[in-house]
This record gives sequence, structure tokens and C-alpha cells, in this order.
Amino acid sequence: MADQGMPIKVKPEQAMREAASLAEKIARGTELFSKLRDEEVTIATTPKDEVWRQDKVTLHHYRPLTEKKVSTPVLIVYGLIGRYTMADLQEDRSLVRNLLNLGVDLYVVDWGSPSRADRWLTLDDYIDGYLAECVWFISQQHAIDKVSLLGICEGGVFTTCHAALHPDMVKTLVLTITPIDFHGDTVENRLGHGFINIWTRSLEPEDIDRLIEAYGNLPGEFMGSVFSMMTPMRTLMKYNLDMLEVMDDEKKFLNFLRMEKWIADRPHHPGEAAKQWLKDLYQGNKLIKNAFTINGRQVNLSNITMPVLNVFAKDDHIIPPATSQALGEKVGTRDYTELALPGGHVGVFVGGKSQALLGSGIAKWLAERQ
Amino acid sequence: MTPFEYMQSLAEMWGRSGKDLTAAQQDMFADMARRMAEGAGRQTGSAPAGFFQPQDLASSNEAFAALWKSALGLSQSITRTMEQGKKPDPLVTELMSKLFDPRAWFSSLGGMDEALQRMAEGPRLADLWDTERKLLNVFNAWTALRRRSIEHNTVMLEAWMRATGAFAKTLNDKADRKEPLGSWREVLALWVETANTALLETQRSEKYLHSQREILKASTDLRLAQQELAAFYSEVFGYPTRAELDDVHRTVTELRRELRALERANREATTRKARERRRKPTKPIEAQTGA
Repeated sequence: MADQGMPIKVKPEQAMREAASLAEKIARGTELFSKLRDEEVTIATTPKDEVWRQDKVTLHHYRPLTEKKVSTPVLIVYGLIGRYTMADLQEDRSLVRNLLNLGVDLYVVDWGSPSRADRWLTLDDYIDGYLAECVWFISQQHAIDKVSLLGICEGGVFTTCHAALHPDMVKTLVLTITPIDFHGDTVENRLGHGFINIWTRSLEPEDIDRLIEAYGNLPGEFMGSVFSMMTPMRTLMKYNLDMLEVMDDEKKFLNFLRMEKWIADRPHHPGEAAKQWLKDLYQGNKLIKNAFTINGRQVNLSNITMPVLNVFAKDDHIIPPATSQALGEKVGTRDYTELALPGGHVGVFVGGKSQALLGSGIAKWLAERQ
Repeated sequence: MTPFEYMQSLAEMWGRSGKDLTAAQQDMFADMARRMAEGAGRQTGSAPAGFFQPQDLASSNEAFAALWKSALGLSQSITRTMEQGKKPDPLVTELMSKLFDPRAWFSSLGGMDEALQRMAEGPRLADLWDTERKLLNVFNAWTALRRRSIEHNTVMLEAWMRATGAFAKTLNDKADRKEPLGSWREVLALWVETANTALLETQRSEKYLHSQREILKASTDLRLAQQELAAFYSEVFGYPTRAELDDVHRTVTELRRELRALERANREATTRKARERRRKPTKPIEAQTGA
């Protein structure tokens, strides 16, 4: 058969080289896989101490790694989907370590693992209850009136609301990959971006009510499957192609396994809080409209009068940049800074390119406002 | 017909075949239910529908067996004809076209909907058929979920067909431009990118979002029907039900909320008093004791 016009032209020796390379990779990878134990795959190893607890919520204070250069302590607030451990995935990919090494005094709140018993907790409980208690505790410990907040994703929404409701208690507000305008995905309308926004808008509010009625909470596995749908081929290829690529290199393979460990930790999202998250925010888009309420009080973004640093990822397919950037026009402070970083939603925290940029960018900004 | 159109037709046929299988199962149960109801209706006494009528079930079975036998005979006739390479019998052709006519399949679903929905949604009697209704709700919900899953799989199959067509087209274009791919890694990378695009485009389509929503509703309906049944048996055996536990948890959550509010109010009151004390100048000791 003539080889002109053939779409695939792989020379036999090329094919054999590829096959041999693959066989070698599989052999080395299988040996490595059989040697490794789960306890060797550790995440969130930066030393810290539990300093406060209420119900399932715990507050931790990181031990300093160097002399303090930023006087106001910073509280890291993650959301209820996934866990904060992503910010401290491993030693060389850790926002926590980077900030500690730059002299930031750091706390983190862990929301625990909600069960069906927690289905009645609302966002009001988290924002005006647990988070407010954490902020008060830190302020008492340091004999200060104000604490700095660093919110991540849904945790950024928590800190935004808290800052709007209690501006007298917040020194500076750092937001990372935080949605403010939940319909902002329609600005760029990039293929593969904003699927959660599109999907929730395709549901009726009663669909969400019925889902929570059936399960009590928003199951962690459910959100996990939604995230997997957002990268369909990546999800299909993860355990064959992607893992094959790294499994013969111990360092890369451990990185892969640490990421897997974080992904597998999927706490349930308390039911009533999930209804507010999906109906009031994703569907109703109340936050950007200043129509969201916490404990009967309106969350007015113009009450955010402290300095704000808004960090987002340029290729974030879960929180498209426009959904974060919408905050700029709404805050009541002139000291508003945006920091656009390379990478995706998680990549901005764990990716190699952003490691040098995220921690140093935040620490520098904080130091300038002490 | 282009290869893609052929594959599209194949996908539609697979989807419909799956629906047909589901409908055939439902039809069999509907037939049983109908015969049982008819059997009860013939009696002048108070025997309600749903009582087991062995003779009617036996006739149903006989009718089904006859149908199965004739289907087997038809299949054998088709096979013999094809093996001999003869021109197909016109009767066989007509029968085959009816087999693949979706209108014939969907016409069988009306009976299922009527019979089972009537039983599930009909007037409730206080002391009769409550357990049966709960069981029927579970069955209906399970059937609905299966149907929605098949519909969703059809949407996904169309997406894969589109991806395959786009992949084939890209390869053909490369061949025309004499730009062949030089390694299997390149081929795989092209396939991953092409399929990813097709799947992401599908995710934004009305069809996909609609079928996702329907699956979500069907799965939550099934879970709620199962929970209703579980609650019934929990009560029978004296175990706490889901609803009772949810009640308790709600009370505890509200109590904790009140406690936090009280603690905060108390703390704020104490802080206020401390601030006020700091502001007020203290009298010298001589003035206080009058010494």
C-alpha cells in the first residue's frame, strides 16, 4: 500500500522504541508501587498546634519557622468543599510554609468532617458563629482588635461576608480563587470553564431542596463527581496515562499520590448551608447584588473598607477569573489590589510556576500594610 | 449515508434497544397487574385488586411463552434465509421493519404508565395497600432511574460518535496535507484533545443538562422512596427512623446556636463592663475608706 496520504506514519523502529520504553516504565513503576506504603504519603505536615475547638471545628496555630515580619496574625479560611490541606500539600508546594518562611504569623481553621448530624448547620453558623469565634479567640490571644483573613474559594466567601459584617475586626482581607459574581462565567464563556455555574443554573431550586432532603448533606462524593466531569478526558486518563507517566519516578509519583490523598478527602457539605450556597449564591447570585443575608443582616460589599488583595488563577475552570474580579467595583476601599497568577484552580496553590509568586505576593502585600 | 450518520443511527438503535428492554420488562409486570385487577373486578365480593389470581398469571405466562416461541421461530427463519443468500421473504421483511419501528416499541409503554401510575397515585385507603404502595413507589422510582440513565447514555454515546468523527476528519485532513503523525503518543494526544473538546461542548448543551437534571431527580426520588420504605420497617421493628434522628439533630443544632449567642452576649457584656471600669477614674484609697 502506498504511504502517501497516510495520516499515521510510525516507523517500526519508532514503535518498538516506544513499546520498549513503556514496558520499562511499567516494570519500574510496578516495583515502586509495591514498595510504597500509604503512611509514606503525607500531606499538611507543617507543624501546628490545636488552640481552640467548638463542636467539630478546630483552630490551629502554626509554629513559626522564622522571625515574625508581619505583626498581625493571619487566619486561613478554607471552604466546606475539600479541605485546607491543599494549601500545605508538601514541603516544596505549600503556601503555608512559604508564608511562614516569610515571617507571617499563621492560623488555620479546620471545619472537621460534617455528618448527617450537622445537616442543619447554615452558612450563618459558619460565618457568624464558628469563624467569628475564631477571629475573637485570635484577637484575645494577641491582645489586638483586628485580625487579617486569608480566604480560599468558598472560604473566601466566608471571609468576605465576615469582613462586610464586622469591618472593625478585620485588618486586611486576602482572597484567593474566590467567587463573588456567581454568574460571571458568562463574561468569557470559555469552553470547559464554569461548568458548576452552568449546571446549577440548569436546576430548579426544588431540585436542590429534594437532593438535600434525600441525602441530608451535599455528599462529598457527589461534588467529587461534578469536579471530575469538568475535566472529562483528564479524569479518564488519570489512572492509566497520567499515572504511567510518573510512576517510575519516586519523587513525581509521591507528588501524584499526595494530590490523590487530598482529592480523596471529601467532607460532606452540611445540608442547609449547601442550600444557601447553591440556591442563594450560585443560582440567585445574591452576593454581588448585596442581597445575601447572614443572621438577618445584609452583606453589603461596600462595607469592606479594609485593604483587599484579590488573587485569582488565569486558567481557573472552576472559578473563572471574572467571577472573582467582580469584587473590585463593589468594595468600599480604595486599597484594592488584584494578583493574577498562572495556573488553574488548584494549580495556583500546588503548581511549580506559582510557588514563587503566590506566597511572596501575599507576604509582601501584608507587610506593606502593617 | 456517511459513516458518521451510520454510527449515529447505530447509537440511536442501541439507545432505543435499551429502552425497549426496559419497556418489555415493565410491560410484563403491567400485564400481570392488569390481569390481577381484572380478576378482582370479576368477583362480586369485597376482594380488592392485588389479590393473587393464579389462573390469570398462568394465562399471562402462556401468552408470553407463545410470543417467545414465535419470536424464536422468526429469528430462525431470518437466519435460514440469510444463510441461503436468498432474497428475503416479503413477510419477513415487513416483520423486521416493524421490529425496528420505534413507534411499535413506544406504543407498549402506555399500558405500563397507566397501570402502575394508577396504582401508585390512586386514592389512598386508610388501612389497605399502604405497604404495597410504598413498594410500588420504590419500583417505579427504580424504573424511572434506569430509563433516565439510558437516555443519558444515549446523549453520551452521541458525544463519543461526534468525537470519533472529528478525530477521523482531523486524521484525514493531515493525510491530505501530507502531515502524518509520527508516533503513537502523538495519535493519543490528538485523540485526547479531540474527545475532550467534544465532551466539553456536550456538557454545555441543553440535551445534556436536561438529562443530568432528570437523572438527579430520578435518583433522589428513588432514595426518598427507599427511605420511606425503610422508615416503615424501622417503625415495625422499633428502630429510630431517619426523620426522628433528623429531628433530634435539628434540636441540638438550634440549642448550640442559642448557647453560642448567649456566650457571646455574656462575653460582650463583660468586655463592655471592663472597658467602662477602665474609663472611670478610681478614687484614692483614703477617699474610699474615709480614712
